[in-house]
This record gives sequence, C-alpha cells and structure tokens, in this order.
Amino acid sequence: MAEPLIRIEHVEKVYRRAAIEIPVLRDIQLDIPEGEYVALMGPSGSGKTTLLNLIAGIDQPTSGRIIIGGRDIATLGQTELATWRSHTVGFIFQLYNLLPVLTAFENVELPLLLTRLKKSERKKHVETVLTIVGLADRMDHYPRQLSGGQEQRVAIARAIVSDPKILVADEPTGDLDAKSGEEILELLRRLNEEFGKTIVMVTHDPKAAGRAHRMIHLDKGVLHADERTETGAMRPE
Amino acid sequence: MKYFRLIWRNVFRKKTRMILTTSSIILVLVLIVVLTSLLQAMQQDPSGGRGANRLVVQHATGLANFLPLSQRQRIEQIPGVVAVSPQIWFGGVYKDDRPENFFGQLSADPEIYFDKVFDDATIDPAVKAQWKANRNSFVAGEAIVKKFGWKPGEHVVLRGTYIPISLDLVFAGSFKAGDESNVFFHNEYLNQSKWFGADKYTGIYYLKVQSADDVPRVAAAIDQMFENSDAPTKTLTEKQFQLQFMEMLGSVKFLVRGISLIILFAVTLIVANTVAMSARERVTEIAVMRTLGFRRTHILGFILSESVLMSLIGGVLGVLLARYFFIPGMVKGMQTTPMAPFLLNFRVTVPTLAAAFGISVGVGVLAGFVPAIRSSQIRIVDGLRQVV
Repeated sequence: MAEPLIRIEHVEKVYRRAAIEIPVLRDIQLDIPEGEYVALMGPSGSGKTTLLNLIAGIDQPTSGRIIIGGRDIATLGQTELATWRSHTVGFIFQLYNLLPVLTAFENVELPLLLTRLKKSERKKHVETVLTIVGLADRMDHYPRQLSGGQEQRVAIARAIVSDPKILVADEPTGDLDAKSGEEILELLRRLNEEFGKTIVMVTHDPKAAGRAHRMIHLDKGVLHADERTETGAMRPE
Repeated sequence: MKYFRLIWRNVFRKKTRMILTTSSIILVLVLIVVLTSLLQAMQQDPSGGRGANRLVVQHATGLANFLPLSQRQRIEQIPGVVAVSPQIWFGGVYKDDRPENFFGQLSADPEIYFDKVFDDATIDPAVKAQWKANRNSFVAGEAIVKKFGWKPGEHVVLRGTYIPISLDLVFAGSFKAGDESNVFFHNEYLNQSKWFGADKYTGIYYLKVQSADDVPRVAAAIDQMFENSDAPTKTLTEKQFQLQFMEMLGSVKFLVRGISLIILFAVTLIVANTVAMSARERVTEIAVMRTLGFRRTHILGFILSESVLMSLIGGVLGVLLARYFFIPGMVKGMQTTPMAPFLLNFRVTVPTLAAAFGISVGVGVLAGFVPAIRSSQIRIVDGLRQVV
C-alpha cells in the first residue's frame, strides 16, 4: 500500500498557561492519502483548528510526528518550515484574510513573490487561477470592492497559485451566505477532483462536511470517529 | 523591488496618520537643513576668496575700542600695503527702531575705497565721482536701495546711537557686490562733526595688500608696530574678521545643535509610535503572510523598510522645502540686514544633503527597529487568532 500523503503519528499538543497545562490534542493518529478530501468536525475547543494548523506547518506538536510527503515537518526549523509551506500548503481562512491594500491580482500574486518566477510568468499564473475561480474580470478590484463570496474565491486562488499538493481550509463557508457557501464548496470539489488537491477542511456544517470523502470527528482533543461520507463511498479506493 | 509596491501601499494605508507623521519629519528636516546650512555659511569666507588680500585692523581688546587715526600713515608705509581706509560703524537709527529698518552704516575714504580696497564691487563711475565730490553724499548696496526705494538726491537722516550726532546724507547712487547690505559715507563728514572722536579716532582700518602672500607678513608687521602703544592692534584677514562674529555665537551653535538633537529624538519617537501602531493593526495580516511562506526576515525587512521609506519621504520633502523655499526666502528676507555677508554662502551643500539623507534613514531604522523585531517574532497561530 502506498505511503499516505499526510501521516500523523501519536501527536499530542499541550498549551501551557503559567503552571497550568491544557491538553488540546491527545495521541492523534491519522493517515490521509493523496487526493483525499477530509472534513474535520467537532464542537468548539475540540482541537480541530489546532490539528489543521499542525498539518499546515504553522504550529508544532508537543510530541509525535507529522510526516507529510515522507518528511517529518515537526523537525523543521522556522525558515525551512516557511519554505516548505510556500511549496506544499495552501491556506483558506474563514475570514478570507486578504490584504486590503492589494488588489485581487496582487493578493493572488503574493505567494509567487517568494519564487524566482519572472513578472510575466507570475502574471500568467495569477490570471490562470483567477479564471479557475471565476474572477478574471475582478483582477483590479480591491477586497473592499468584492462580496464575501468573491473575497473567498480570491483567497482560494491565492491558496492554489503556487500549486500546492495540500489545501487546508478553516471553516471556509463560515462567514458566507448559503449561495456563496455552496459556490465555495463546489469550487473546493473541483479543485479536489479536477486538480487532485488533497483538502483538509474544518467545518461545523454537516452539509459542507458531506461534500468531503471522509469525516473525522474530534472531541476534547481525541479522535472519536473517522467515517466515509456518501461522496467518499462512491469514490473508488 | 518586487516587494516595493506592498511596502509603499502599507506606508500610505492610513493617509492622515502618514501625512501627520511625515509632516513632523519634514519640519525637523527643514529646521536641521536650514540651521546647518546657515552655520556652514557663517563659517565660510563671505567674499568667496576675493577678499584674500584684504586685512582688517581693529583694537587688540576688541571692536568696542577706537584706534587713533594717526596710525593710518604708519600702516600705509609698511611695504606691500596698497591702500588703507579708516572706517567707523555708525550704527544709527533710520526712521525708527524697528529691526527691518536696520542696515550697516559705515564711513569710508571715498578717494580710495572703491578704487583700491573694495575693488571687487561694481559702481557706476558717475555715481562714484558724485560720491567723492559731495561730503554729505552716500552710496548704498543695490539690495538696500531696492528695499527702501531711495532715489538719487534723496535725503536720508541717520540718528546716531553711541556716536551722539545725526547724519543728514544725500543718496548718490548704488553699487553691486556680493554683500549689498551696507551704505558708505565720507569719513570727513564724521571728522567735521562734533563728537569726541572727530578727526582723532576710527573704528577699524580696512586695507588692501599687494597679494595674498603678503597678508601674514603685513598683519604681523602692523601688530608689532603698535604692540607697545596706547592702542595695540589686532590685524585679521577679512575672513577671520567675519568669523570672529561667529565665535561670539559659539554657545549658540552648541545650543542649536543640542536642540536639533532633542527634536530629532522626539521625531524618532513619533515615527516609532506610528510604525508600531501600523504593525500592531496588521498582526493578522503578518500572520497570514507568514502562513503563505514569508519568513521572519521578510517581515522584519518589510516593517523596517516602511519606517525608512516614510522617514525618507519626509526627509526628501524637508530638504526640498528647505532648499527651494525656506533658504531662498530667508536669503531674500535678510539681504538688507547685517546677516547679508553670511547669506552669500547660504545654500544646501552636498555634505548637508548627505547628512539629511543619513538622518532620514537613521530615524527610519531607529524608529522601525523595535516594531519590526516584534512583528517578525509573532507566532502565526497567535496572529491568526488576534482580532484587531
């Protein structure tokens, strides 16, 4: 059997506030194969976002190993981790988190500034992804000139512009109306099915989770259930 | 360069705050450039080298004491001396005591003054002839004539202060020179008036020697000649004579520099506060950028660059304002004041420009250092959690 893209081995995460230790994740073990679409569910404070942050390499586990693409990212230094993130992970936030001083084009171009691509090449990449998310006609708009759904699509374009294998999304539809939320979920599905992106999404919404292949339930830092959804059941192993 | 757009946009993110902070930098830079340029100008040779073979003889104890007119003949006999003009600073009141009506009033020997001593000035021969011919006439620098609008033949009355007489002078015409802030009238007018020094004393001797090479020898010879007399002398080059006024301002220079430093420190704190506020408001954005793969050094560089850029914008505008607005304005405004000789070199020099650039960058770096370090140290997860 092939090595999963994401392997989480006995991961623990403990926050320390003064002398008090607060365990957030306890002995998490999880494999996510390449191309899988996983929904992380659970009540507030269950550790979903912490697990997502660990997978995205923006936080470090207290113990355990996080092996992504065969590499244990828990052992990487800050600089290595930053470079790793820029190549491997695209982040989608609940509140979009676009830079207000930059246009849609410039926001999407941001991760590419870290590469050696020429300006013309960057332009080509940005135009391509903005076309994929359906915002080719809004490139020069600033975030304040876009609707919530459009802002989230720009954020998704920013997440995929450097062609990462993994997309992590923290409640991507949490701040959107039903119609816009549906459009974003459809876009994520396309990115998974057409472009082969591995997606890990935190959500409270069972309907959104139903679009994933797997639903993983966390409660009080413990992995309670790991089940295939209807969508996942129809997907060939 | 690919990051410049982001840095530039962040600098102008809050326009009012940016304008207010930049204005404070502009004001400080204007102040520093103007004061530095003025102090530099006051330390330079006001004649621009043309007075290299001119000497000024004053009383050894200072300008407050007179010299006997009998010394003139003996000075003239020293080999290398071309001409000697006794001169008295009259210091009278024109119209009223208001500072704008104050100008330099000096007596001179019209027979030799523009021909042999102050020969780098330009004067119409007819005006010069008229001045020589009429004991109560005077000539004035063109700038001062323009200021008061004197017409040839017009009477100008100067009320004496420390010399207790009034002079009723007739305007003969103007002359052009680097320093056009003075009027010159006949020594004889003073000598034939009733005051204690008439025909006995002079304030200084203004003299010309053959060449600049003769200057040290002649100066030493004059001082040696009167060393043991009732009126010992101190002979100075024209440049030294002007610089002694600067030396009187020694503590003022120190004070000006001290105040400039304090203001500079204050503006650094203002910029630091602005940068810190701007960085604090963007904690989430900084965390997002780190998530995208920007390293701590990137964030450090961005915040520091914003601070330096803001400071440089203020610095450049401050220097331009000082160079093209304040200094020309001050030169124009003070052309007819006793400050006029110093204004000839009142300009922004390359070293001052370099210093202004250095100060701007320095303020930017100092002000941005702490906020930049703090921003770069933010943990991504903390930044993403923060609601500003």
